[in-house]
Amino acid sequence: MMTAREFSINGQLYRVAVDSSDTLLDVLRDKIGLTGTKKGCNVGDCGACLVVVDGLTMNSCLLLAAEMEGKSIATIEGIAVNGELSPVQKAFVGEGGVQCGYCTPGMVLSATTLLKENPDPTRDEIKSALSGNLCRCTGYTGILRAVERCGHYRDDGTCANKDGIGANKDGTGANKEGIGVKNGVIARKSDSNGDHIAGASGNGERRSDRSDKSGKFETVGVSVPRVDAVDKVTGRAIYTADIALPNMVYARILGSPIAHGIIKSIDTSRARALPGVLDVLTGDDVPDTMYGVSPARYDEYVLAKDKVRHHGDEVAAVAAIDEKTAEQAIALIDVEYEELPVVLDPMEAMDDGAPLLHERYKGNVNTHVDHSFGDVAGGFAKSVHVREEVFTGNTIYQCPMEPHAAIATWDPDGTLVLYTSTQVPHYVQYMMAHVLHMPLGKIRVIRPTVGGGFGGKAETTPLDLCAALFSRRLGRPVKMVYSREDMFLHGRGRHKQHMHFKIGVDAEGRIQAFSSKIYLDGGAYSSFGVATAYYAGSVIPTLYRIPSYKYDGYRVMTNKPASGAMRGHGVPQPRFAFECLLNMIADDLNIDPVEIRRRNAIEANEMTVNEMDIGSCEFLATLEAAADASKWVDKWGKLPKGKGIGIASGGFVSGAGYCIYRGQVQLSHEKPREPFVKKSIFPHSNAVVRISEDGMTAIVMIGAAEIGQGSDTVLTQMCAESLGIPMDRMRIHSDDSDFSPLDLGAYSSRVTLMAGFAVSRAGVAVFDKMRPYAAAMLNCDESEVEARDAKVFSRNDRDRTVAWEEVARKYFNENGPLVGTGCYKPPDGLGGDYKGSTVGTSPAYSFGTAICEVSVDLETGKIKIDRFTDYHDCGTPINPQAVHGQVEGAVAMGASETIYEDVQFDEKGLVLNPNLHGYMIMSIMDAPEIFSGLVDSYEPRGPFGAKEIGEGSTLPVLGAVAHAIANATGVWLKDLPITPEKVLAALREKRLRLGEEVGATQER
Amino acid sequence: MFVSNVELHEACTMDEAFALMDRLEDARILAGGTDLLVDLKVGRASACSLISIKRIDALKGIAERDGDWRIGALTTITELGASECVKTHLPVLIDATSKMAAPQIRNVATVGGNIVSAVPCADLPPVFLVLNAGVTVQSSEGERCIPLDSFFQHVRKTALRSDEMLTAIVVPKPPDRFGAAYARFSLRDGNSIAVAGVAAGLEFNERGEIVSARVSLGAVSPTPMLVADAEDILVGNPLDDDACVRVGDAAMGACSPICDVRGSDAFRREIVGILAGRALRLAQQRAMETPS
Repeated sequence: MMTAREFSINGQLYRVAVDSSDTLLDVLRDKIGLTGTKKGCNVGDCGACLVVVDGLTMNSCLLLAAEMEGKSIATIEGIAVNGELSPVQKAFVGEGGVQCGYCTPGMVLSATTLLKENPDPTRDEIKSALSGNLCRCTGYTGILRAVERCGHYRDDGTCANKDGIGANKDGTGANKEGIGVKNGVIARKSDSNGDHIAGASGNGERRSDRSDKSGKFETVGVSVPRVDAVDKVTGRAIYTADIALPNMVYARILGSPIAHGIIKSIDTSRARALPGVLDVLTGDDVPDTMYGVSPARYDEYVLAKDKVRHHGDEVAAVAAIDEKTAEQAIALIDVEYEELPVVLDPMEAMDDGAPLLHERYKGNVNTHVDHSFGDVAGGFAKSVHVREEVFTGNTIYQCPMEPHAAIATWDPDGTLVLYTSTQVPHYVQYMMAHVLHMPLGKIRVIRPTVGGGFGGKAETTPLDLCAALFSRRLGRPVKMVYSREDMFLHGRGRHKQHMHFKIGVDAEGRIQAFSSKIYLDGGAYSSFGVATAYYAGSVIPTLYRIPSYKYDGYRVMTNKPASGAMRGHGVPQPRFAFECLLNMIADDLNIDPVEIRRRNAIEANEMTVNEMDIGSCEFLATLEAAADASKWVDKWGKLPKGKGIGIASGGFVSGAGYCIYRGQVQLSHEKPREPFVKKSIFPHSNAVVRISEDGMTAIVMIGAAEIGQGSDTVLTQMCAESLGIPMDRMRIHSDDSDFSPLDLGAYSSRVTLMAGFAVSRAGVAVFDKMRPYAAAMLNCDESEVEARDAKVFSRNDRDRTVAWEEVARKYFNENGPLVGTGCYKPPDGLGGDYKGSTVGTSPAYSFGTAICEVSVDLETGKIKIDRFTDYHDCGTPINPQAVHGQVEGAVAMGASETIYEDVQFDEKGLVLNPNLHGYMIMSIMDAPEIFSGLVDSYEPRGPFGAKEIGEGSTLPVLGAVAHAIANATGVWLKDLPITPEKVLAALREKRLRLGEEVGATQER
Repeated sequence: MFVSNVELHEACTMDEAFALMDRLEDARILAGGTDLLVDLKVGRASACSLISIKRIDALKGIAERDGDWRIGALTTITELGASECVKTHLPVLIDATSKMAAPQIRNVATVGGNIVSAVPCADLPPVFLVLNAGVTVQSSEGERCIPLDSFFQHVRKTALRSDEMLTAIVVPKPPDRFGAAYARFSLRDGNSIAVAGVAAGLEFNERGEIVSARVSLGAVSPTPMLVADAEDILVGNPLDDDACVRVGDAAMGACSPICDVRGSDAFRREIVGILAGRALRLAQQRAMETPS
């Protein structure tokens, strides 16, 4: 029933025709165009759609629009007045309260509403007020800080308003106005080495840098606000699902209701008959070309052709005039299945007679790794103490707050334009070319703002492919968006790993030998799994000196959504197991857990036993700093029952040493089968810098994917540094493959190092072109010319300067466009000469140590993670606030994984909790206090000495939580997630064991 | 995921609502909608029509009448938790309201909805049970009162007839030296769903002996329920550790929890035993604090 209704939104009246069943969320987004209100779950679990109605916060997904007449509605678009950000918005910008931005509108509105009623809330009141707004990026730390420090951003507030974003009067684009480089440090004085929470008193003095001739950087190493922060706090940031193209239609995918079966028939007639349905696709309509991630294991069709292998396996799709019609139509597709037995456990899947998922994977083994380095048998033989344990991981889903979305449209010249929510625009381009049999150059991939990925958006999706196919058939733009349930059913989360670990040590606890046998639960398709299976082994020896190492890994197919790559790719669960086992051994030998790490810690410039080339390494420094800051010696062994402290370490690659596919950038079908060579064929990251003709603005173009981690900001900083101009003269375009040259994307924690080199080299290339003109103007030698803060001068006479733009104009007058390019190739020859030696190679490795403190309710088993102290070696932090933001997010995500998260299945393989109330991620009420610190470090193989932080920061977390729980309860829990139920069971088992021992003693 | 095609009818008075209920086929009453709209989106419920009662003023507000408190069905969870009478006299309700879901849900969800939906994990029913509350239901024929302990029949099933609407919850004023508390267990603290809940209401005499006792359970049986044996165990004695354990055991025996993604039946049962003791102790503490 469509009726005209009048709504008061942000003080304006809107007259809109709405249907009885329309939610306020859909009306705001689709009918009024206020897309700052986000759809994250659509059932009231996440708070991304929060609006304020008559002064009260409400989830707009659970309000019928028709009932909103006469009410005063406020959305995020109404918070900034005439472009002037509100104090809350300024605080979110200045305090690092924004990352991917998808939760931000709801967070800002919740905080604004709270502060209106209660201008000086306690920390608990803030947490309570924001408890219905889920965030997956920030660990809530920057958000909490923003709300707490909001007063500093009021007009009568302190420095921030004057020096920082307050100057940004027009509220548009943080990097356009006002964020001066020098003044960019907002309300936090501590920079590269300072701690984070106690940062106000921190040490503002940055270390002098070895590569920088003048001894200090200008833009690098400074906590400037994110370049996209203002767009994100105002609701202006445009995500894929926010885009509407003229004449656009919508499509939805039908997933399998069973976990294993043969498709006997599909009848689409009822769906086609539904008014508004435009087209239907089934397996018969999609290309016969299989796709995937690892070229040796392409094993997916766009839509299932013969068989379904997991609950939700994509079977058919419908395009219709609107999304609701498409959704109604997929329910009218009649599919007849012959159900097959399911196998859900990887060990059982390897048994003879187990249901086979794919003919090509005998025994359901998708990947087998058999690695042995050094004298493993000898190492165990000479060990004084050997301990062997079995650990089990959990099935983790990334849960980015933004659901995947894609819009495809075809230009008249045959170019496919694909807007997609992805971490890897280039691989999407490569895979679209592969499936559609067309040149990469005819595919333009646009990556709008991405609301988090964590690995869940690191591959081409059926949305990308179906949208392209529909769009070609219909000649109209086609939009597709996953529901929250679709996301879980499509999967690609962290592999659940079953880990049999054995470590042998000498009397002092020095590791002599390590062996691991791991079964990875692969789910129904390969996805990233080949690499995952190798990563699960290869990165373990990068932390400790391990003289002999055996790894036996099996990635096995099961009837579950495919497992893929998630933050820390393959390593977090084995790292958890290793750190737990090391802590157990420390207990066995009565060695302090810090000390056993000290004795085994790897140091700079070592080669691991599996030939990973460690460059810079300040692992020991992170260990000492974390122990000091957490007051480890005062707490370890001295806490009351129910309180615990635990430690674990971890590190990761700063970018994969090799591309996922072999050979050059070219349509795969045209390429010969290429042998592996131990070098990069083409640069993994590439940038172009163009200077505007007046010399006032540098535009950097690079395909590196900003997914919320802050890459646009740190790349802008590095480029500005190399150009010698301030940030406010920079703009970055990383979202369009037509303008931004190839970068492999946001995975393997590669962007800071690899893309950082590309943009800084492009900046250097520009400046080198300016040198002769500057030298002539300054009357000095070209080699003496330097630039800083948009002034060009001779190193030998810094007082005499010419304006940077004047030099740039001179160049343009004589030569035309002032453009520089830069690229980065990983070093040749990385890795050993054994099978799988490429995985885990990297130009540089990060290191970190985390100490966790918990309280455990010994009666209910409930765990509260109180505090985290984390120190990391990430080389030079390009933007300390962004680095801390990554650590804080990783801590909350890792802690959440450890105690809450698990995708659960019934005995038939159906997913039981594909939503954000059954699958729980940490809320602000549960998040620990996080203290993030950085140690002094410099990586010669990284730009400005930088390495990674995003993924490595996850690695110590799981083990530290598990250790703290063991410390608090007296029992080790080796099976993730560590739920209250498991804690109680373990305590009961311990009591029984003790009882039996007492009984046995008495009998004697 | 969309709300299926429905016609929305907005009633401004009870009479309008009853007329619509009488006229419309396959209609559901819409109050806060935080459950119903989700059910309609995920296909757990279906309806051709929704009758919104949000504009009926008679269903709003908390009033004192004949020594009882009458809580209008449309009172939101936020309003309930913030009301002066609850803060002063019924703090046990805040044990529930402060932990239910999230603020933006509590701003919309209604007290009536939390009861009439009869979802097993709802937090208010066990609390109202120990407060000896009843519900007032109305139809075009008139009004009747149903004691809460005979209102719930099964999962999402109540004694409400299809022509009736729940209009208010009536809570009798507690006697002197009465205290009540609600102990709730959830896996996460923010935006959480109860895995188990135990409410206790205790009335003491001057000598510190229990005169009357009610213990109720939520989320661990198809309906919220009273623990029948609790009264026998408690009445006539002071509250001691042994009594807490015995009530816990009785509660564990009385419940019939399900096994789902939030925990096994055995775990829920174990938690119920712990929560019972905690609820009893806090109820006792509150009883001692109330002026006699």
